[in-house]
Formats: sequence, C-alpha cells, structure tokens
Amino acid sequence: MNQPGHPAPPLGSVVRLLLRRTIETYHDSPQAVAWMQHNLDRFDEPLRVAIAGKVKAGKSTLLNALVGEEIAPTDAGECTRVVTWYTDAQVPRVTMYPRAAPARQLTISRNAGALAFDLQGVPVEEVDRLEVQWPSQSLRTQTLIDTPGIASLSKDTSARAGAFLAPEDSPSQADAVVYLMRHLHATDVRFLESFYDQGVARATPINTIAVLSRADEIGVGRLDALSSARRIARRYRADEKIRGLCQTVVAVAGLLAQTGRTMRQNEFTALTALAGMPRADLDAMLLSVDRFSRTDLGSATDVPGSDTRARLMERFGLFGVRLSTTLIRQGMTDPGTIATELVKRSGLDELRAVLATQFSERRDLLKARSALLAVDLVLSREPRPSAAPLVAEVERILAGAHEFAELRLLSTLRSGAVKLPTDAVAEAERLLGGEGGSAAARLGLEPEADHGQLRAAALDAVARWQRRAESPMSGRTVSDVARLVVRSCEGVLAALGGGRY
Amino acid sequence: MAVPAAVELVDLALKATSAYQRPDLGSRLQHTRRRLADPDVRVLVVGEFKQGKSQLVNALVNAPVCPVDDDIATAVPTVVKHAETTSVTLVRESSPDTPPERTEVPVARLAEYVSEAGNPGNRAMLTYAEVGLPRKLLAGGLVLVDTPGVGGLGSAHGAATMSALPSADAVLLVSDAAQEYTGPELEFLDAAMKLCPNVACVITKTDLYPHWRRIMELDRGHLRHAGIDTEIFPVSSMLRLHAAKTQDPDLMDESGFRELVNFLLCKVVAQSDDLDRRSTSQDVLAVAEQLASGMKAELAIQENPERLDVLVGELTRAKARADELRERSSRWQVTLNDGTADLQSDIDYDLRDRLRSIGREAEQLIDDADPDKVWEQFSEWFHQQVSSAASANFVWAAERARWLAERVAEHFAEGADIALPELRFDERGIAGTVDALERPRTEKLGAGEKALSGMRGGYMGGLMFLMPLSLIPGVGLAAPIVAGGAALLLGRKQLKDDMKRSLQRRQSDAKTAVRKHIDEVTFQVGKDSRDMLRRTQRQLRDHFGTLAEEVSTSLAGSVAAAQSAVKTTTSERERRIRDLKAELARIGGLSDRARALLATTTAHAAVRSGKSL
Repeated sequence: MNQPGHPAPPLGSVVRLLLRRTIETYHDSPQAVAWMQHNLDRFDEPLRVAIAGKVKAGKSTLLNALVGEEIAPTDAGECTRVVTWYTDAQVPRVTMYPRAAPARQLTISRNAGALAFDLQGVPVEEVDRLEVQWPSQSLRTQTLIDTPGIASLSKDTSARAGAFLAPEDSPSQADAVVYLMRHLHATDVRFLESFYDQGVARATPINTIAVLSRADEIGVGRLDALSSARRIARRYRADEKIRGLCQTVVAVAGLLAQTGRTMRQNEFTALTALAGMPRADLDAMLLSVDRFSRTDLGSATDVPGSDTRARLMERFGLFGVRLSTTLIRQGMTDPGTIATELVKRSGLDELRAVLATQFSERRDLLKARSALLAVDLVLSREPRPSAAPLVAEVERILAGAHEFAELRLLSTLRSGAVKLPTDAVAEAERLLGGEGGSAAARLGLEPEADHGQLRAAALDAVARWQRRAESPMSGRTVSDVARLVVRSCEGVLAALGGGRY
Repeated sequence: MAVPAAVELVDLALKATSAYQRPDLGSRLQHTRRRLADPDVRVLVVGEFKQGKSQLVNALVNAPVCPVDDDIATAVPTVVKHAETTSVTLVRESSPDTPPERTEVPVARLAEYVSEAGNPGNRAMLTYAEVGLPRKLLAGGLVLVDTPGVGGLGSAHGAATMSALPSADAVLLVSDAAQEYTGPELEFLDAAMKLCPNVACVITKTDLYPHWRRIMELDRGHLRHAGIDTEIFPVSSMLRLHAAKTQDPDLMDESGFRELVNFLLCKVVAQSDDLDRRSTSQDVLAVAEQLASGMKAELAIQENPERLDVLVGELTRAKARADELRERSSRWQVTLNDGTADLQSDIDYDLRDRLRSIGREAEQLIDDADPDKVWEQFSEWFHQQVSSAASANFVWAAERARWLAERVAEHFAEGADIALPELRFDERGIAGTVDALERPRTEKLGAGEKALSGMRGGYMGGLMFLMPLSLIPGVGLAAPIVAGGAALLLGRKQLKDDMKRSLQRRQSDAKTAVRKHIDEVTFQVGKDSRDMLRRTQRQLRDHFGTLAEEVSTSLAGSVAAAQSAVKTTTSERERRIRDLKAELARIGGLSDRARALLATTTAHAAVRSGKSL
C-alpha cells in the first residue's frame, strides 16, 4: 500500500515500465521480445472489444448498430464464420490473414448496402482473421471484433470462436467482451465462465458485459416488447449468479438500433405512406411478416409495393415497422426524429453508456490486465533466474495496485460472501466503481454534480465507512471491506484535489 | 382412441368364448379390452426453452391453458386431455408403490404451480399438472404434454426427456424460426427417431421472422444431412389464436395449424387407432379360429366317418407340436433365452465401455488441473457425460429388445402372422438414483461451500432418470440457471498458495471419487437395465407361452370332438352336421367382422382427413 499523501503512480505507466523491463530481461529471446513488443504496442491501441455469443444471437447486427453503418455482413442463416476485426483508419481496406500465408488485401464490394467479403477461394478454416479498416468515429476509441457463433452446427466455426475468445495456452486477444444472448442458456453460462480470469485479476467478471439481444423478439414483436425485455434484463442483473459472471446485463434490440442508425429517406417515405393507411387495414397487414409483404394492395400508387415492403420488413422487423408507423401516426414527421427515437427505444444508448463507464473509463485497467497476463505468460513459459525481480514486480502490482484490489473486492461482494446489509453492499459496490469509475458514478450523484457536492459526498462516505471499519461490532471481513472502501473514497477525494480533509 | 367398433367386436367374441366354454381364450380378450379402454394418444411437445412450446399447446386447443411469458419458463409438465368440463389437477407421484397424490385446483391458479415464477425449480415436487378441456380436437384421445424446456438437450433433464420417449405416441420438436437447428436439437431428433414411432418438427413464430422459409429450408437440409426423415410444420400460434377469435379462414390457413392438426389426427391418432383395430382384429380372428377348430374337426368326421384315423392322427401330431412349443426345448424359447443373455451382456458391455472412456477422460482432466479449482465445472461436465452415456445406452437397449421380440415371434410361428406383444418400457424403466459425485474433502472450505451445498438440493445432484408411469418426469427439474449457478460460486473460490502442497493428494482423491461414482453408476444403471430386460423377457415368455397353451387346448378339444363324433347315430349325425354348420357360420361371422375392422384402418383415415378442424 502507498503512503497516505503520496498518490500512487498511474497503473498504466507502472505496467508499461514492467513491459519494457521484461523486454530487457528477455532481450536474447526473439520470441518473447516480439510478444512483449506486440503487447506494448497494444497498450496504446484502442480498447479491443470482442462481440461474442451463440449462433444467430445478433452479433454482427449489434456491431453495425454500434458503428452506425452496415459494415458487417448479416444473414438469416449462420453468417460470420471468421473472426473479423473492425478498426478505425483513414481509408477503407480489408485485409485477410491466412494461417499459413502472408496477409493479402481483399477487394471491397457492397451487396445491398452491406459489405461483402470474397475470400478469394481460401477456405474459412485456413483464415486466421480478417481485418476491416474503416473510417468511423465509433471505432476510434475501441476496436470491435466480430466472432463466429458458439454452439454452431459446424463444430469448426464454434471452435474458432472458442479459440479466439478463450485460448487454451495464451491470454485472449480481446481486452473486453460483450456477450450476446437471447435467453440465458446453460451453454451461455458455461461460456461466460470461460472468460474467467485464472491469472491476474483472479476471478473478476470485470471485462464482460452481457446483452440480451434481439430484445424485440423476446416479447414476440408486441409494442411493449422492449419494456418486457428490460424487465428480464433487470431480473438477470439482480441475479447473484449472473452478477458474478458479468458487470451488467442490458437489453438491446439490435436490428432496430442498426436500422435507426442507418435509416434512409426512401424508407421513411414508405413508412409514412403506410402510416397513412386506414388503421384497421394496416393492423391486419401487421399480423404477420407474410401478410405485411404479400398483401395485394391493388394498383394504389401512394402505398409501397410488395417488394418495398419486404425490404422494409427485413430492415425493421415486425416490431420496427409497428413502432415506426405508430410514431409517425403520433405526429413524428421528421426522419431524423424517428431515427433517434428508434435508437433510443432499442436500448443502444444504454449499452453505449454502459460501454463507456465499464470499458472506456477503465481502459487503462483493462489494458494493464491484458499486459500483465502477457508478461505472466512469458515468465511462466521461459522461467530464468534473472526474471525473479519481474515475478516479484507482477506480484507487487497485483497486490499493491488499488485498482486490482477494488476488482477483487467487487467480485467478493457480488458473490454474497460478505455479511453486510443489502444497501450497504450496494453502496460499497458503487464506491468501488461497480457502476463506473468517475467520481460522480462512484458517489451516486448525477454527472453534472459540481465540485462542492462531490467533495461533500465523498467526505461523508469516508466518514461512514471509517466508522464501519473501526466499529467493534464489525467482524474482520467487514472491517477489511470497509477499509478498502475508505481507500477508494480517498482516491476520489485525491482526484478531486484540495487536500485530504 | 377407443374405436367403438373394436370394443363391440371384442365384447361379442367374449360372449362366444363363454358360450363355448373356453375361459382361457376369454382372458386374452379381456386383456385386449383393457388395452382398448385406455384411449390416450400421448404427444410430447419438447424443445429447448423459450421456443414457444406452451403457446403451441394453447393454440392447438385454443385456450390459454399453459402459462406463457416473455421471461418465466415452464417448470412442470402439463398434460392437456379431453374432459367434459374444464378442470385442473396437480399430480404428485412420490414412489412407484404408492398411488399418486391428486389435488384439484381452480383453473385460474394453474400458473402458480407450473411456471418457474410460482414454483421455481419445481419446489412443490409436482410430477405433472393435468388439465381437462372440452375440446373436439382432444375427444379422439389426443393428449398433449407440454414439457419444461431444457437448456441444452444433452443435459441431465434432456436424458430424462429421452427416457420418456418410448412411452409417447408422438413427439413434436419445437424450435422457433429465429435460427436454424443447433447441434443438441439434431442429436435429440436422431435419438427420438429411434424411440418413438412418430416424430415431427414444428417451427414456431413464423409471423415474426421474415426469413422463416429460409430457416425451414436450412433445417430441411440439416435433417437430410443427418439422415433424419420427418415432416416439418411451420406454424404461427399467434395467427391461429387470432384466427379462432375472428373466425378468419385465411388466417387459419396462414397459421399452418391445419397441417399440424391433420398430422396429429390423421397420422398420430389414426395410427394409434389403426394399431388398435389391427391388434383387435388379429386377436378376434385367432380366437375365432381356435373356437372353430374343434367344430371343424367334428364336422369333418361327421361328414366322412371313415377318415377318422387320418384326422385324429393329424390332430394329435398338431397337438404334440403345440405342446412342444410350450415346452422349454422349443426353438423360440431358446432364441428368447439366448437373446436375452446376449442382450444383457452386450448392454452391460456397452455401458461399461461408455463409462470407462468417460472415466479415462475425467482422470486426464483431473491430472491437467487442480481439482479443487475446477471442481464444479468438472462435476457438471462429468454428470452430463454420465447421463448422456446412460441415456444412449437406454436407447440402444430399447431398440435391441424390440428386435429380439421380432426374432422370437418369427421362430414361434415359423412365418405365420403372430401378434407381437406390445412392449412397453415405461412401466418402471430406469428408475435408479445415484448419489451426486462426491467432492473430495479439502482441508479448507471456502465461504461459497455452504451456498453450494444448498444449491445441490435444487440440482438434485447426479444422475436421475425417473419415468413415472408413461409421463415425462417432472422431478425437481432445476432451471438451467440454477444448475449453472453452483458452478459460478465455486469458480470464484480463491485458493491460497499454501494449498498447492496437497495438489497431488487432491488429484488422487478426485480420481477416487470419480471411480467410485462410475462404479456406482455402473452398478445402478446396470441393475436397472438388467431388470428391464428381465421384465421384457418375462413379458415375451408369458405372451408366447399363453399363445401356445391356447392352441394346445383347442387341439385337444378337436381330438376329443372328433373321437366322440364316431359314436353318434345317423339321424343324430344329420342334426349335428346342421348344428355345427350353423355354429361355424356364426363364428365365421365373427371372423368376417374382424376382417372388416382391419379393412377400415386406412380407408377410415382417408375419410377423416377431409374434415380436420
């Protein structure tokens, strides 16, 4: 632990230093040096967020929604078969990395809006990964990685996803994981468990967020489907076992979000025409997808034809069409407003907020974790006497860095192993950064709270937990917990500046 | 379904047996009648959870009987059958020996008992809930069984579902149109095809997914690829319910339910009816033939007294053959005994072989990791492996037993058409329970341990196949989340470094636990399958033994009748011949009706397919 008054050096620089020292120690092992150099570079890259889940969980659709463009190919059948990286760049470019051959550039073609990749005859099993470089604001802070579905009928495809997300012999290439599920199956639980950190941060679900995807379909496309899905997400969130596996659970209607972010003028025109139809007629058409696309509306020119409607259905889904025509009827006449409303209702904003608090704000911590795992691999693969100080340093960072202590305590609290009143547990989790690392999030205040409010709340929290730590009524575990919480509050105070008390 | 014509025919034949004083033949007919009295045609609705199984059942009967929710899943099987008035009964079977406990509850309160919300993990330990509904669709004896969804059909309750299959008349595998079949679904279908006469696939929620046709084609491709030949019915429960409300025939067509209902009535129910007709007809024909044989012999002598010796000789030889059939030495007995012994050792070997390879793999896993760290994940994996091995073994045993029955019948009748006994494996089945894999003791018990043992109660630990009388087991099927949950608690257990010292000891303790568990499973499942075989053997022996006895009695009667015939005078003879001919004509009438019943089997179904709903 650091001496009070001397703020700890930032975790990021400590770990960078460790990486450099490891390179020095292993300078004679080209393999280790290359690996460490790779990880040092990775430290400065955007956060790598993998999107994982069972087949047809809607991974590519969600990726498109997050990017705001239809860049990942989607299909009714199983679609993504190769791990695909999406990174920000000046110029669009797609590169294929075959396993046993040099990387080569692929031509980019568009197929009805979405990108299509032609592997030039290379069988999917021989492709290690694809890298799509795409100019996009959304990719600037994070690299998104689309993975093939788990529990695919094609065992190879599943295996490729497993090998990428939870490799047996090396740390995962991803810093964080967004896990998509339609309902929580036993296979989902098993998979979430496999992200478990065996080494460095020791059993923390810190880098995982679960998403209840295809949320509009959970309520079979009813207009209240999304509130129903949110209710389910809330239940999962409150479930102790699931809390032990992921940071949080968010419900997102991926298709709605994707379409909302990429809506076109002609789609809006078609929807407006549909909304203008007599209500009973439209409701009858919206009974089923077949009725919607196939009903013969005669030669009326002002309503969209069968083909247009089929395309609308593909882009919006039954729920999306129901929702947007209702919105237009209620008086929204501007495509921009509708698109924003669709995105808002889809739950995408909530997911982005969660991604920001849980991943982006913890970027250094997640990167440090990945780097420590990498160092740990080298140290255990190629042990040598000169590396002994490095081993000690890894131990020291793990034990000493308050960030990791917070993580460990968070997971202990979530497992329910500590006897504390429920609201005290909730407060402790919040103060430890369970709902985001910013001062306001930790103190449970609105993001706009001013400096004075933050300071007052932090001082208040310190005093409360100090009492708990020193109370003779508290057991040893509770005292330990309280002391760590106090330390977190002091961290907040230190960051706020203006002296300790 | 009880075919009224068949029941009538059996009653008539019964009267004839008592008139001709052949109570031995009567008992067989009594048995037939009892079988006809059970009109149920059971259709299991199975699938992974949240695929729309309950809604499918609701749409079929057009009533909200099974609770449907976006989130909460079904916890207890619901049996929907015909009744004059709507009623709900909860059934709890505690052991095979005591009669099940039945409680009637108000219809509105069903959801409290069958859904995960009111009865999480089936805490109330209900075996199933029975719903009676006045519906024309069900009047034919159709019984729909809505099963709790399984999280991965390879899991322990997947195995339990599997063991209920042989007692079902049909299975509907429900999967929604959101995606093509997954590996576990196809594996389940493959096993179901081997155990159940009628298997069909239902793709639900076609109203919601624009690409359901593509999905159906993909599924068809998967089925073809796996060599599974079944029909696929795309349906929309929502449209069907809406159509029933608005009486809209177009919507009804679009819902796809016409085809599904047709399948249930014309194929499943009709097939079960056909089976009833065929077996009744066969039984009555056999009885008529035996009743007639004595009279025919006497008639032959009365008409040609000089051929007495030849006839009596023939009859005696036939009787000797029938007696021999009854004796131990006859070929069918040998086939049966040898077959049973072979089967027993094959099945035993199969089980041991499967378990041994699991054991080897388990020991490898234990060697590779610290058993204390991975114990929960490991034991879950292990239990799943063991139960799927046991259920695969069961499927195979059932298949082989049926094959053996056919072989015995072949040898018994030497080519003649002999009724096969209806082999039912559902009477007791594999009912053994084995204790959960024991966790080797470690010197340090984490805080999670206590919570863990609490969780085990819900998971029921270990292997448990229960087949309560021909129903899917509803025993404490813990929700998948609960089962998975135990693993999470332990996964986070943090271990102190000082425990590394005893790693080797923990590994060897874990291996001992695995071996002990495998031993116990081998013993318990082995005993259960041996018992099942023994019951099958007895069933077959009694069936064919009785058949042989009846033939022998009839032939003895014929010999006696022929011998006594010579003693009559000419005038008496004239009268006797007249009487005999009249009696034979009466019995002939019985046979004609039996044949007519057989003839209606397929014709009848064709007529009914016209008016489906």
